[in-house]
Amino acid sequence: MQISCLQENLSRGLGVVGRITTSRTTLPITTHVLISSDQSRLKLAATNLEIAISCWIGAQIEQEGAIAVPAGLLTDFVNSLPGERIDISVASGTMELKCARSEARISGQKADEFPPIPEIGEGITTRVDARPLRTAITQVVFAAATDDSRPVLTGGYAQFSGDKLTLAAADGFRLAVHNLTLAAPVAEEVSIIIPARSLRELDRLLKDQEDPVELTIDPQRKQILFRLKNVEIVSQLIQGTFPNYNQLIPQSYTTRAVVNVEEFLRATRSASIFARDGSGIVRLFMTRSAVEPSRITISARAEEVGDNLGEIEAVIEGDEAKIAFNSKYLMDVFSVMEDEQVVLEITNPSSPGVFRPMGDGDWIQVIMPMFVQW
Amino acid sequence: MVLRDAVMARIIMHIDLDAFFVSVEQALNPELQGKPVVVGGRPDKRGVVACASYEARAFGLHAGMPLTTASRLCPQATFIEGSFPKYRDASQRFISVLADFSPSLEPVSLDEVYLDATGFESIYGSIWQMAVAIKQRIKDELGLCASVGIASCKVAAKIASELSKPDGLLEIARGEERSFLAPLPIAKLPGVGKKTEQILSGLGINTIGKLSIMPLSALKSRFGASGELLHRYANGIDNRKVEPPGAARSISRETTFDKDTRDRPLLEATFRYLSERVGAELRRGGKQTRCVTLKLRYADFTTITRSRTLKQASNTDQTIFDTGLELLNKALAQEKQPVRLIGIGVSNLVEPSRQLDMFDSSAQRLEQLNIAIDRIRDKYGFTAIQTGRTLLLKEIFPTCEEGYTSQTPSLSR
Repeated sequence: MQISCLQENLSRGLGVVGRITTSRTTLPITTHVLISSDQSRLKLAATNLEIAISCWIGAQIEQEGAIAVPAGLLTDFVNSLPGERIDISVASGTMELKCARSEARISGQKADEFPPIPEIGEGITTRVDARPLRTAITQVVFAAATDDSRPVLTGGYAQFSGDKLTLAAADGFRLAVHNLTLAAPVAEEVSIIIPARSLRELDRLLKDQEDPVELTIDPQRKQILFRLKNVEIVSQLIQGTFPNYNQLIPQSYTTRAVVNVEEFLRATRSASIFARDGSGIVRLFMTRSAVEPSRITISARAEEVGDNLGEIEAVIEGDEAKIAFNSKYLMDVFSVMEDEQVVLEITNPSSPGVFRPMGDGDWIQVIMPMFVQW
Repeated sequence: MVLRDAVMARIIMHIDLDAFFVSVEQALNPELQGKPVVVGGRPDKRGVVACASYEARAFGLHAGMPLTTASRLCPQATFIEGSFPKYRDASQRFISVLADFSPSLEPVSLDEVYLDATGFESIYGSIWQMAVAIKQRIKDELGLCASVGIASCKVAAKIASELSKPDGLLEIARGEERSFLAPLPIAKLPGVGKKTEQILSGLGINTIGKLSIMPLSALKSRFGASGELLHRYANGIDNRKVEPPGAARSISRETTFDKDTRDRPLLEATFRYLSERVGAELRRGGKQTRCVTLKLRYADFTTITRSRTLKQASNTDQTIFDTGLELLNKALAQEKQPVRLIGIGVSNLVEPSRQLDMFDSSAQRLEQLNIAIDRIRDKYGFTAIQTGRTLLLKEIFPTCEEGYTSQTPSLSR
């Protein structure tokens, strides 16, 4: 193999694929990045067996070939080089790089020892605009479970129907749902669970993308392909049945409050400082008064340390109410909201609290309360 | 100055029951009265004397002495295993008698209480008379003898009650604390253990009086922070108030095995049993824990503790045990010695709370299970219902209403 490319392009490409490689692995070759000539371009590929990312960069191909080299080593070296042309050649299992007045030799592995990157030719295909997809991922994926006790909850549930995509995640303590419109309708209805890690990678790579993303779900519904500009991500799908979350979203309420997101976040953050010792409990009291504006009081106390009380104004309809939440879950939700104002609906201290958009958005956030001694 | 006088002019009583465990046994079984009696265990078993009657003490027996030595010195003594619930009941009655005299009580142990008697002179004629009345009520209602020390501070009151034993009463007049303490051997001073005593006698200091004139700086450099305490106590200066007990800050249970053991099922069964006792106590107090601590003492007496903070506060036996078991597995993997003592504790106690879960109500069900088990045990005794894990203990230990009676029955809570 004999090729040339720009340092800048190679560095960017390695940044795209290299992040998913880990040093802790049972299959050492997955710490490598596969470099191969692909017609007139250079293809970089990495996999952690759950996700595979491929990226193509412009290159001048003198002689075709391929090799797998340690991703961390190559990335660090390439990033240390000046922004000039790099000449790469491969001979007898060693990659040689020359750039300006630097050169390096890196021992590699044969390309055919690298795990095959899954290819999805046919299946259910659609397209989604990058920006709304990124918003949906941000507002949903944080709610996915981080422990493996219920594997289906570690992913984002994606339901494709006509030109609608519903993305949902829940770890049992909270549930996030976001609806968006597809740029092209799907031929048949399909529901899959995408690992949260894959969605986060996709979000990261969508940052530089203007065009719609092309999605293909393989006919066995085991894998999904996201095709971006010069980048492809193939992710395994989580097998299993996602809980029917719709029945968990209360359809009615007894108290409804319209609050300013920023103020609510700030008051919750203050309270959370005092909630650290006590399981993160913050208590919300919604009170109405004939003479004063109605308000939500947010309080926390740490045994033998102290307590805190914050107030925010709110438009409150219905009964006065109280409910306790884990401050972390409240802050997580407020942190991902793009809206200025949101609606909070509650029924009683042991039923879920529901956040809905005040304006256009098509999303819903549900947080389970904490049972506390009032 | 008024405030200062008010702080200074305190009268503290230290009431200490004589030969407590033995006296309780003698009160329940009059045949034992006037005879050498030992509570702690049977003479052929491993263990130590928990309490010896004054008749037995005449033979040189004392608390802490190995039972085998005790039976050699005084073979005619009656050896009793004893039972903690009996002593706890007596202790509760003791405290309720004292509560009739003063609301300001500080129980130090089962048989030892500080009582703030400041201002009670007018009611009883004198504090001395009040003490006489207390002793009489205890004798009448519990059949036990108490020794009482009266002084302006805790340390002098405690030493006075000890010196007056048995069935004694000693009052140290205000201003005479120092002269009272001066001739006494340093070992009588609280805070002076075997080691401190050795060091001090090495310096030629054998009385509290000699200790009191030792320069503070010398004591501090030798004993650190406790040097200052020694200096103050030796001079009869002690500003500690009588403090009624607050809510528990931690709960723990531990037990020493009959024989050092590596037997996993036995270790785990015992550990589970102790976890259940801790859990029951935690729930009785209406609290949840955020921290679980394992305690292990190995055959060579090395003692370790290992703690883990819980993500979510809990009060269930399962959480306490499971968390403890993880710590136990880790500890045992690192140390190959047999285990002499095992214990579990909970701390960082908080008000009950629970994060509700959309899909999983098992935490809630577990809590209800624990409540149900507590109810059954309250009514029918601890061993009326048990988990499979602890079943094996039934074949090893005798049971009583309160649970299993382990190695030192007189101390088995």
